[in-house]
Amino acid sequence: MDTRAVIRAKLAEFDLDVSEEDLDELVPAYENLLRQQKMVEAMLESKPLTEGMEMPLSEPILVHNIARYR
Amino acid sequence: MAMNPKELAHAEIAEIAPLIKSKEISPVELVDLSLSRIAELDSTINAFIHVFEDEARATARAQEQEITSGAYRGPLHGIPIGIKDIYENGPTTCGSKTLDGYVAAEDCFSVKKLKEAGAIVVGKTGTYEFAYGPPTLETHFPPTRNGWNTNFECGGSSSGTAGAIAAGLTYAGMGSCTGGSIRWPAQCCGHVGLKHTYGRVSRRGVYPLSQSLDHVGPLARTVQDAAYMLQGCAGFDPLDPGSADVAVPDFSAKIGRDIKGMRFGVMRDLYEDSASPAVIRAFDAALRQIEKLGAQTIDVPCISLEQLLAFAFPLMWADAGAIHVRNLRTRAADYGRHTKLYLLWGLCMSNAAYQDGLRVRAQVRDQLLDHLTSKVDVLILPTVGFQTPRVLEQTPGLEFLHGEAFPFYTPIFNHTGLPAIQVPCGFDDDHMPIGLQIAGKPFDEQTIVQAAYAYEQEAGWYKQRPDI
Repeated sequence: MDTRAVIRAKLAEFDLDVSEEDLDELVPAYENLLRQQKMVEAMLESKPLTEGMEMPLSEPILVHNIARYR
Repeated sequence: MAMNPKELAHAEIAEIAPLIKSKEISPVELVDLSLSRIAELDSTINAFIHVFEDEARATARAQEQEITSGAYRGPLHGIPIGIKDIYENGPTTCGSKTLDGYVAAEDCFSVKKLKEAGAIVVGKTGTYEFAYGPPTLETHFPPTRNGWNTNFECGGSSSGTAGAIAAGLTYAGMGSCTGGSIRWPAQCCGHVGLKHTYGRVSRRGVYPLSQSLDHVGPLARTVQDAAYMLQGCAGFDPLDPGSADVAVPDFSAKIGRDIKGMRFGVMRDLYEDSASPAVIRAFDAALRQIEKLGAQTIDVPCISLEQLLAFAFPLMWADAGAIHVRNLRTRAADYGRHTKLYLLWGLCMSNAAYQDGLRVRAQVRDQLLDHLTSKVDVLILPTVGFQTPRVLEQTPGLEFLHGEAFPFYTPIFNHTGLPAIQVPCGFDDDHMPIGLQIAGKPFDEQTIVQAAYAYEQEAGWYKQRPDI
C-alpha cells in the first residue's frame, strides 16, 4: 500500500477525510515519523530472554512518577 | 527612586512592589500606564487578544483602597499581568477561530490564585493556535512582534505574554509549556521563563495540548520576579489529576546565596552539533562566568537532538490529535490549515510506537535523575540552538516534520517533568537575546532559582531593556 493510502486509511479510522493537497504535505512528514519510530525502537532498553525474544526494561509511564526521587 | 513612565513600564516587580507597599505608587497608576501603553503600542506589537480595561481599572481602585487601609497582600499586589489566551478567564479563544465568542463561566484555578495574590489581569495574550508551534501566518490573529525589534517575532507559543512584557505593557504574565512554550518566547524576548516541576501548578481550566506534558507557568523580567509569580500560582489542586500534593516552599528562599561548589551538568551531547555559533559563543561565555562564581561545570552524557526529536514531538502531537479529533470532525475548516495538518500527523502514530515513546522517555528521565542524584546539582544547556526568528513572510508548511534537525532543546524537560528556568545569556549580531536553561531535581525549584539568580546577577544581561 502506498503512503498516501496508508495515511488516508489511518485517518479514516477516525472518520476524518483528507484532501490530495493535504496529503502532498503529510506524506514526507509521515515518512519521517516512520523513521523516527524506528529510531525510538532502537533506543529501547530490553533484556534478551530466549532466541528472538526480549523483555522491555522500562515502563511506558503515562504520568511522570517522579515524586519518588525527591 | 524617581522613574519616568517608560522606566516605570519596564521596571521589575521587585523594584515596584516596595513602592506599592509604601504607597509611593498606586495600582491605579500602574494599570493606567499599562492600558495607555497598550492603546499606544499594541496595534504594532499584537500582544493582546482581549483587554480588560474596565475590570482592571476597577480592581486597581479596590486594591488602592486595600493598601491604603494597610492590607498589603505581597509582591504581586497591584501588578498588571497578562494571561495567555488558553486559560479560562473571560473571553478565551486559544488563538483560534473555532472559539470565537466563547466566554469562560469562571476563572481557571491558577488565575484565581494569582488574583488572590493581588495581580491585576489587564488582558488575554496572543498564542499560536491552541498553543501549537511552530509559527504560521494562517492563524486567526496576527503574530506578536518583539519589542527589541519589531521585525522579529516573540517565539511561541506564549508569544503574547512574552511580547507584552518586552514592550513594557505588563510586568509579567502566564504562559503554558508543552514542549518549550514558556522558555523559548522568554528567550526570544530576553526574559526569564520558569517551567516548574510537572504537577506543581494546576492546569485545570487551561486548554490541554498533551496532559502528560502540559505545564502552566510564568514569564517575567528577572529570576526574582518569576519566583514571585510562581509563588502566586503554585499549589495542589485535587481536581487536576496531574497536580502534585506537595508543600509549596518559598521559591525565593535561596535567592542571593552563592553557588560556590555547585555542580552544573553540561548536556553537551544534546546541543553541541546543532547550536549556532552565536549560541555556542554566548553559552560558553556563560559557563566561564558560572565557574568564576566558584561552581563546577561537568559534562554529563545524554541523548542527542535527533533522539530527542524522535519521540518528543510525535508523542506531543499524538496526544494533541486525540484531544482535537472530535472537533476536527465538525470544525476542521475553521482550524488554521497547518494546525489541522499537525493534528492529522499526530493521529497517524501507531499505538505500539506511542508506547515505545513512553518507555524511552522514562529511560531518559531516569538517566537525568541519576545525574541529579549522584553526579551534579543542576543541568545546564542552551534554551534553543537558533536565534530569534524574523516575523514570517510565508508559512513554512510541515517542513519542521520532514526530519531536518530543529535545534529545540526544551522538550526534554517536559518529557522528564523536571523544573527548568530560562535566563538571558547574551545577544546576537542583530541584538536579539540568546538564552540558557538550568534544570534541577523534581520539586526543587529553589535550587534552579538560586543558580539562575547568581548567574543573572553576575552576567547583568537583565539590565538591558528594549527601547520601546
